[in-house]
Amino acid sequence: MLRPWLRQGPRATRSFTCPQCLHLLRRPQQLQRSLLPSSALSSPLRSLQTTTTPESTDRVPLRKQLKQDAKALRARKRQTREHEEASRQKWELTVGIEIHAQLNTEAKLFSKAPTSSTDLPNSNVALFDLAFPGSQPEFQAATLLPALRAAIALNCDIQPVSKFDRKHYFYQDQPAGYQITQYYEPLAKNGYVDLFRHDGIAPEDGDQVRIGIKQIQMEQDTAKSQEYPPSTQLLDFNRVSHPLIEIITMPEIHTPATAAACVRKILSILQSCNAVTTGMELGGLRADVNVSIRQRGDLAGNHQYGGIAGLGQRTEIKNLSSFKAVEDAIIAEKNRQIAVLESGGVVEGETRGWTIGSTETRKLRGKEGEVDYRYMPDPDLPPVYIGEDLISELRRTLPTASDALLGQLTGMKYGLTVEDAKPLVELDEGARLEYYQNVVDLLWQQQSETDAKAQQALARLAGNWVLHELGGLLTKADLAWDAQRVPAASLAALLDQLQRKRITGPTAKQVLALVFDGDQRPIPQLLEEENLLLRPLSREEYIVLAEAAIALNPSMVEQIRQKNQLGKLGWFVGQMMRMGEKGRVEAPKADTILRELILEGAK
Amino acid sequence: MSLLREAERCIANQSSCAALNALTSTLCHPSQWQNQVKEADIRRAEGQPRSRIDGRLVVIKDNICTRDLPTTCASRALDTFISPFNATVVQHLEDAGAIVAAKANLDEFGMGSHSVNSTFGPVRNLYRNRNAEDLSAGGSSGGSAVAVATEQCYTALGTDTGGSVRLPAAYTGVVGFKPSYGLISRWGVIAYANSLDTVGILGREVSRVRDVFDIVNQHDPRDPTNLSPDTRSRIYAHLKAPRLESRMTRQSLKIGVPVEYNISELAPSVRRAWSRSLNYMLQQGHSVHSVSLPTTKLALSAYYVLAPAEASSNLAKYDGVRYGTSFDGNHCDPQNNSYLYARARGEGLGSEVKRRILLGAFSLSAGAMDNYFIQAQRIRRLVQRDFNAAFVATHPLMPRRRDGGDVEPEKSQAQVDVLICPTAPSSPPTLSSLMGERANPLDAYTNDVFTVPASLAGLPAVSVPVILESTESLAGVQIIGQYGDDALVLKVAELLSGKRF
Repeated sequence: MLRPWLRQGPRATRSFTCPQCLHLLRRPQQLQRSLLPSSALSSPLRSLQTTTTPESTDRVPLRKQLKQDAKALRARKRQTREHEEASRQKWELTVGIEIHAQLNTEAKLFSKAPTSSTDLPNSNVALFDLAFPGSQPEFQAATLLPALRAAIALNCDIQPVSKFDRKHYFYQDQPAGYQITQYYEPLAKNGYVDLFRHDGIAPEDGDQVRIGIKQIQMEQDTAKSQEYPPSTQLLDFNRVSHPLIEIITMPEIHTPATAAACVRKILSILQSCNAVTTGMELGGLRADVNVSIRQRGDLAGNHQYGGIAGLGQRTEIKNLSSFKAVEDAIIAEKNRQIAVLESGGVVEGETRGWTIGSTETRKLRGKEGEVDYRYMPDPDLPPVYIGEDLISELRRTLPTASDALLGQLTGMKYGLTVEDAKPLVELDEGARLEYYQNVVDLLWQQQSETDAKAQQALARLAGNWVLHELGGLLTKADLAWDAQRVPAASLAALLDQLQRKRITGPTAKQVLALVFDGDQRPIPQLLEEENLLLRPLSREEYIVLAEAAIALNPSMVEQIRQKNQLGKLGWFVGQMMRMGEKGRVEAPKADTILRELILEGAK
Repeated sequence: MSLLREAERCIANQSSCAALNALTSTLCHPSQWQNQVKEADIRRAEGQPRSRIDGRLVVIKDNICTRDLPTTCASRALDTFISPFNATVVQHLEDAGAIVAAKANLDEFGMGSHSVNSTFGPVRNLYRNRNAEDLSAGGSSGGSAVAVATEQCYTALGTDTGGSVRLPAAYTGVVGFKPSYGLISRWGVIAYANSLDTVGILGREVSRVRDVFDIVNQHDPRDPTNLSPDTRSRIYAHLKAPRLESRMTRQSLKIGVPVEYNISELAPSVRRAWSRSLNYMLQQGHSVHSVSLPTTKLALSAYYVLAPAEASSNLAKYDGVRYGTSFDGNHCDPQNNSYLYARARGEGLGSEVKRRILLGAFSLSAGAMDNYFIQAQRIRRLVQRDFNAAFVATHPLMPRRRDGGDVEPEKSQAQVDVLICPTAPSSPPTLSSLMGERANPLDAYTNDVFTVPASLAGLPAVSVPVILESTESLAGVQIIGQYGDDALVLKVAELLSGKRF
């Protein structure tokens, strides 16, 4: 049923390579292009910065060369930064984003066909998905649920009545000749997303910036096409009519970094409310950005987008599929527009494209080539009515927003740093946070601690161990998160012992590694049997150890005394721990004794 | 007469009337129907027929999907297409014991009023004029109408978007019924203009039409525009109100005559048939009242904006990629910079279809949308309002607003049970006048002037044949009822159908 075909249109690849040679000719070119950015950084710069002739005649030592390269890179970055800052002072950038995300649903938008993307191509297609004559849409009401969860999580007003419209254009991945979307009356309107410093917004945006969301609409995905230039195109209709939501932000973003942060944040919100399953890299999310600039302090521009007036002529960059692409494409497009205006030109309203690793956006089609989508209400589909009861039920069952969780974790009760709280919230779809919460609850119980400050100390201790110690073991072993590997109760018991000073930090790490590697014994038994419980050294024993260490390194003692190089005390602590009985030397106590002997002994 | 005899006669008529070009495909071998008919004969003899159409041959317009016969829409784009599924209506008929004996010729995708825009060539009316010239069979369900009129089947299904069942019924002297929008499933009915498309039934007598209607008038979850069981029971309850229910038994009905339909272009024979029909109704004890439907004049223009708009969208799928005729094959000349679809659509679709796609694409385009599509939708609403003002019965799905508002413009005028008016302004034109060089598409469009208003409002309407004895000429008289009044419309149709004045 599927026919290979040839098309000579804007999206077609014009190549007259013979199909047999294809792999030989095309692949290496692509490979080369993808390697371009890194090679571009090293070789041309090197020859710019050094006055030497090519390497063959005058070999630069590798170490020196690396240093020079790093220096050059820094200089270039500084230069770019300064240039960016100068142009930022003069020009104001305005960006609006349209994000398309695949909803987490079992069925397609208008048929009962499953949405699975891993099945055999063209196996999950209903008659309507292929636009068979006489077939009609069968709206799958359940697809509304993830869309509504997303709309609630993005603080939108859910519309009691929304409608489906047809957006017409011809392309072979669009079997009906139109996409069913919501143009005139979308599902939700007037939302917002808050971006904070820790979300990675640009410094000039301060601590927090709120980006308005104009609307959220439901629509169909297209088929997946695979080009085999010059004349073959394979189509997989499994993806066709997979439900998508399109999220349209207000043109309220003024820096490329904040734009990328916005897309990242929206994706994380969509994932945390289980509206989508796949991330941007898997093609589950695609973004289009609208970019315009205007001169600061100048007369307002005469364009209006999304109800915001006074903007410059915008261009649209389509189909960005990574956060980095969003940021890079905006920077490139902004610089292009500035260059156009500064050379006395006019920015044309047009659609542009971006290739990963490129430094320039490229024109896809101009105004004259603009598609008139001829939006028409779909005459087969009734309006979607959404009751207040459904919305409030969804609101009730929605997981706590990550911003709220972050607020709690960095608040008085837990006292975590943002840097620790953020991964806890984001890792493993909330499983890490749940584990952390269990450990903290058990710790509080075991220590029957009621003092807020002491509780906070325990919470911070747990945070450190869940993220860094346990996390480090996972990373080292290259394993995915598994809450049962070190049960929360075991970690809590271990930290309890540590907190009560029954074991030292190094011992705790050693025990954690044992449990991580499968030791099933309860923590108290394990400590007992392995003889790991701390038997504190007496003051005299510390002094003996310290004096032995000092005697071995008299010159360092002098340095500490003469030059007040207190940092070197730590080295002596280390020496003492190595010389003493394993697991018995406590660092703080060793430090105290050393200070007494070295510093006070000198007076 | 046994069902087998009857079926054999139908099959024989299919051969003898082949020159009328009513059918696009037929069953090739008696084995495909004989046994089924014989079994139905046995069931009938045992007093246990599956339905009143058990063992009867039916003909299906070729824009309704059938699994066993091709479904071409009389288009080159689909001339090799066989649907993988049966339309719900076809399934209903087959479940009731009927045999789909043939597919009927039509205007390509239902676009036309004379069944001449067909890749299979024009349908010919069984009647000729005094000069023995071929006449239009009406369209777009011309093949279905001629098949019924020449007894090539017991009954036939057509589709009616702006009059496509009623007009050919009027031209060929049969009964053509377009039910209320949403009663009969459109699943498997290839869309021309979804918001107007209605499956219609053609038969030589009203009773046969009713038999088929009773079978296909069912809820179908696969058609989202089909009335839900819930809505159906609401309409049923509404019609059970004594004031409305009594109309089905009363001796005297209020008959409305829309004054706007008495246009100067009306052919004398049509006007005579109309007035004699009204006279006849008076004689039978009914009362006749003039009513005004002021938006009628705008209805035709609104229809020819809306229907092409939807058509331009619906027909975008015929690109030759997934099914249907592909003119490219695997080869395309890379030098001439052509698009994949260019030949599939350029050569696959006929000129009238292309005209309507262009018209529709224009009226939906950004610059024209407000002036055409939106305005036409407003007119559509006004047409509906006109009808609501004329009928005693309220629209069961659009209750009359009590707060005055803008719903009732002419409260003062008489309110009636049904409207009676001509189906078409003239008798059938000659095929040569439609197909020659001087043929003007606008002339064809004006034939729909009396049928389009009921389509825009989604109302039940039926065309019945009456005969003027003085000239032995045939004319179609149309009965239009309020939404949901399908039974009442068929009752009045029965009073008038086949009458000689």
